[in-house]
Amino acid sequence: MAFAVWLVLPVAVKSVARVSFFEMTAPIRVAASYVGDLQRFWALRLHSKDELIEAGRDMARINAQYSVSMQQNGELQAEVERLQALLKMPPIEGFRFEHARVVERDFSSWWQRMIIRKGSDYGIPLGAPVVYSGGVVGRVSEVHAYTSVVQLTSDPGLRIACVVDGDPRPISYQGAENQVFGAAKGVIEFVPLDIYASATMPKRLATSGLGGVYPPGLTIGRITHVEPSADGLFKTGEVELDPRLSELTEVTVLVPEGEK
Amino acid sequence: MRATAALFLTLYLLQAMVAQVNSAIAPIHVWLFVGGLFVAYPALVMPFGQGFAASVLGGLLCDALAPVAFGTHAALFACAHAVVYNARERLQRDETVVTVSAALLVNLALFLALSTIRIQQAHGSAGAWPRMLSDLIWSEAVVALIAPWFFALQRRTLEMARAVDWRTT
Repeated sequence: MAFAVWLVLPVAVKSVARVSFFEMTAPIRVAASYVGDLQRFWALRLHSKDELIEAGRDMARINAQYSVSMQQNGELQAEVERLQALLKMPPIEGFRFEHARVVERDFSSWWQRMIIRKGSDYGIPLGAPVVYSGGVVGRVSEVHAYTSVVQLTSDPGLRIACVVDGDPRPISYQGAENQVFGAAKGVIEFVPLDIYASATMPKRLATSGLGGVYPPGLTIGRITHVEPSADGLFKTGEVELDPRLSELTEVTVLVPEGEK
Repeated sequence: MRATAALFLTLYLLQAMVAQVNSAIAPIHVWLFVGGLFVAYPALVMPFGQGFAASVLGGLLCDALAPVAFGTHAALFACAHAVVYNARERLQRDETVVTVSAALLVNLALFLALSTIRIQQAHGSAGAWPRMLSDLIWSEAVVALIAPWFFALQRRTLEMARAVDWRTT
């Protein structure tokens, strides 16, 4: 009887129920995240002044490097805009960076997701790419009132069009199994036959920009193994993802500038 | 109604705690599943209606947090609840070992059922099984460890809520 009632329930009712149950658990999750931040803050306060001075000096050096990079970036941006105007090309869509704390990780053998502490309150759109200093984290798969769910690149359900570093031909990436105590892995398909990679000579795998979700050139992982596929037309391979992906505490959501 | 609400509160707490533990151990790629604890006590101790409602609500809570069709956990928990409820007269329900064993068996069955549903989406199905087996072993160990505490918590919550007449259950 209960099954029959459930089957005939409209999708809208189920969607509302799902969102309600999710939001019901969100306060505990977010509160635990804030407590974690507070704990980290007090742990950092235990550091000595010498360590603080050292960290400040290192930070000043990094800032100086970034200042130079920003100047170079500005010049290159101006050059790109000049060439675009010259060739009458449509402008490349930019992104707004929305930094968010990681609230919770959910890395099962069936799915790989994380919840971040920003949602529709910060205008996070569904499907937006999520990145960190090491490359691609994944994409936003659910947006809630003040949290969002990110599907990671290690999730078996995520596919990305990508390229091997230095080669423009697109290939397909998909998350794969994540073994215990080991780095997360992915698989690649439709790799051209003249691409070679091994554990001793890995190749960088980056986003292709095709599909319009991820900007081109973002690192996904390192190709550590390729072998001819069963049909002999292409190769398939294995990609090792950055171990930091499992330990992230902060990520950046790339919100397309057209979005609110 | 009060009994269902009291049980749901404990399931909510369990879900929140397990989610925090899973988040903490995520870097070593271990994931705990404690679905058996959502079903065992309501099915073994409570009258059918109240226990069933608590198990289904617990399932919906799990559904909201997982990328599965909404109702998957709820349906599995409902089936497990019905099976355990029908078998409970043949069990020594007041023995902790029996209730913990029931929780372990239900947890195993639910884990395998969910794995069967999800395995189609994995890229290399054969490659995914070692990780699933590892998760299953860890999950069973954790269920065996926390089940007595959790059942005591559920019993105490029901007592505090004055939701059950223990002479009739």
